[in-house]
Amino acid sequence: MAGNDIRLEHVSKVYPPDVKAVDQIDLTVRDGELMILLGPSGCGKSTTLRMIAGLEAVTAGDLYLGEHRINDVDPKDRNLAIVFQNYALFPHMTVAGNLGFGMRIRGHGRAEIEAKVRETAAMLGIAELLGRKPRELSGGQRQRVALGRALIRDPVAYLLDEPLSNLDAKLRSTMRTELIKLHRRLGRTIVHVTHDQVEAMTMGERICIMKDGRIVQVGAPMEVYRNPASTFVAGFLASPPMNLLDAQIEAGRDGRLRVVCGRLALSLPSADTGAYAAWRDREVILGIRPEDIHEHPMQPTMQPVEVQVVALEALGPEIILVAGLPGAAEISARMGASFAAPIGEVLRLYIDPADIQLFDPTTTNAIPRRAQTVSSDAA
Amino acid sequence: MSAALATPAIEQQDRRFGYLMAAPSLLALFLVILFPILFTLYTSAFDYTLIQPTHDVFVGLDHYTNALDNAEFGQALWVTLWFVGAVVILEFVIGFTVALMLNTVERGKNVYYLILLFPLLMNPVVVGLIWRMFLHPVLGIVNYLLSLVGIGAVNWLGDPQNAFWTLVMVDIWHQVSFMVVLLLAGLSALPREPYEAARMEGASTLQTFLHVTLPLMRPVIMVTLLIRLIFAVRTYDLIYIMTRGGPGQATDLVSYFIYRQAFVGLNIGEAAALSIILLLIVLALTVYLYRYMRSLA
Repeated sequence: MAGNDIRLEHVSKVYPPDVKAVDQIDLTVRDGELMILLGPSGCGKSTTLRMIAGLEAVTAGDLYLGEHRINDVDPKDRNLAIVFQNYALFPHMTVAGNLGFGMRIRGHGRAEIEAKVRETAAMLGIAELLGRKPRELSGGQRQRVALGRALIRDPVAYLLDEPLSNLDAKLRSTMRTELIKLHRRLGRTIVHVTHDQVEAMTMGERICIMKDGRIVQVGAPMEVYRNPASTFVAGFLASPPMNLLDAQIEAGRDGRLRVVCGRLALSLPSADTGAYAAWRDREVILGIRPEDIHEHPMQPTMQPVEVQVVALEALGPEIILVAGLPGAAEISARMGASFAAPIGEVLRLYIDPADIQLFDPTTTNAIPRRAQTVSSDAA
Repeated sequence: MSAALATPAIEQQDRRFGYLMAAPSLLALFLVILFPILFTLYTSAFDYTLIQPTHDVFVGLDHYTNALDNAEFGQALWVTLWFVGAVVILEFVIGFTVALMLNTVERGKNVYYLILLFPLLMNPVVVGLIWRMFLHPVLGIVNYLLSLVGIGAVNWLGDPQNAFWTLVMVDIWHQVSFMVVLLLAGLSALPREPYEAARMEGASTLQTFLHVTLPLMRPVIMVTLLIRLIFAVRTYDLIYIMTRGGPGQATDLVSYFIYRQAFVGLNIGEAAALSIILLLIVLALTVYLYRYMRSLA
């Protein structure tokens, strides 16, 4: 399968005088994979994509496509297709002209181009738009044409640079589904850049999360979600994000380790005691996902915590409870749609200590819970 | 008074105030632009000369029919057509080439701009005088420099064959930066993505120029050409200073021909008719330009 892997080894991009846009990243996108590059704006994800495309020169490091080092290969010879954020359609050409541009440039015959244009347009449902100019199209239609211009080429991999960010919410979710279907049908590698964590979670086979030009974590969406490598990842994925609280590890009266945050105190599972022993009497960051805070004790291992209701945010299928921890910060909890409580009321909620994450406050990296979960797959 | 009636009253007041504020400039415009045009139009229908400056003898459209029959005027129109065609095309080709080159320049762009804008900032009379000195057959620096490389003296402005192209050359020197500046502004405003898309498709430099740059630049090119065209049709100062339309009629542009009718021939009535013809030509071009710019919006 390694035939057309895209491999980045210690790749950096430095803009003069010395702005490090991408800083020594290592990443392998497997042949046929749908890889998401996720991160806030300015994290270097687009620059990384543009280096793969060949539109930006690699300052240092090696870029491979399969076995070939392609640092110095001209973009047109890399056999990659890119879809730009603002589509980059040629405004003076019709849809058919835009789709067939590349083939015309490469000197294909008129009949061949026309057949291929029709085939691609039919696949994307834009066959009836072939005679129109880009300015006569809606955002979603332009997006399809841009996609079509990439699809018509049959490249080794498709590089998508925030292609959905200019669409409205409804269209975005439709196009998301279509891209996933398209990926399944074509079986080609897709590298998709986005700052939208929902897009990343729903589309990606693997997500590569970037920050300040570096890769923070790579993994399958749920894996990254359940085991965030740092507070950045924990806070970036999902909305509302993971609750992050300043806390300490202490030994309780029964000798078990506890994580204490104000008047919240959770005894840690005895299985984790070994991993956390080194952190005894030290500061940590306690991370709890909003959905891991429950109204009722559903497991015997769950421990109660008293909170005061600050606000309720009704989202329809669920309600986000914003609650104050006595002597500590506020937390968000995901409640059922039927949840109701007056503001100011003191409630008892339940947390399973097995669901919590602890982070090192100085490095912000996750503190491994057990020896076997240390294995990261930042490969 | 009901609220429904109150608004128009205020609007009317606003409108009256608006007219009041605009009145001085409207009056000035009428006096310096509309009145001379109307007076010219009126005069063109009379036998009005500087010997007998009265509107006594009405001749109707005679001046117009005479003008169209006049071989000298036909020649002036012909020379003007050639001149306009030559300067617009040459200035466009040179200007676009320079603009394309400057568009890739990263450092010192402002210095280039400054140098380029220099001739454009000069008065045409000054430009004419400078070049007349440069091109003087005996005392001029151009012929001196040519003599250094063994080329004999050229009669730049005295020879009918040379005079026309000499004028074209001086006009290019003077006005080409207009093209450069406008086209460069257009080029630097072009979106980057279509170029990257073309690059990914493997388009060569020439293909990118033909399929991306030219079509994207079309509106800017059209407007630049038309503006330059309109100004070129009216060229006068340079002719007056450098050749006075000569030798013979070699550089006799319409605007200079009109001047001759009026102040050498003293025939104001006929000159007025010719001016109206020139005005109509320029007006037609302007309307076309205006329509075109509207269609872009």
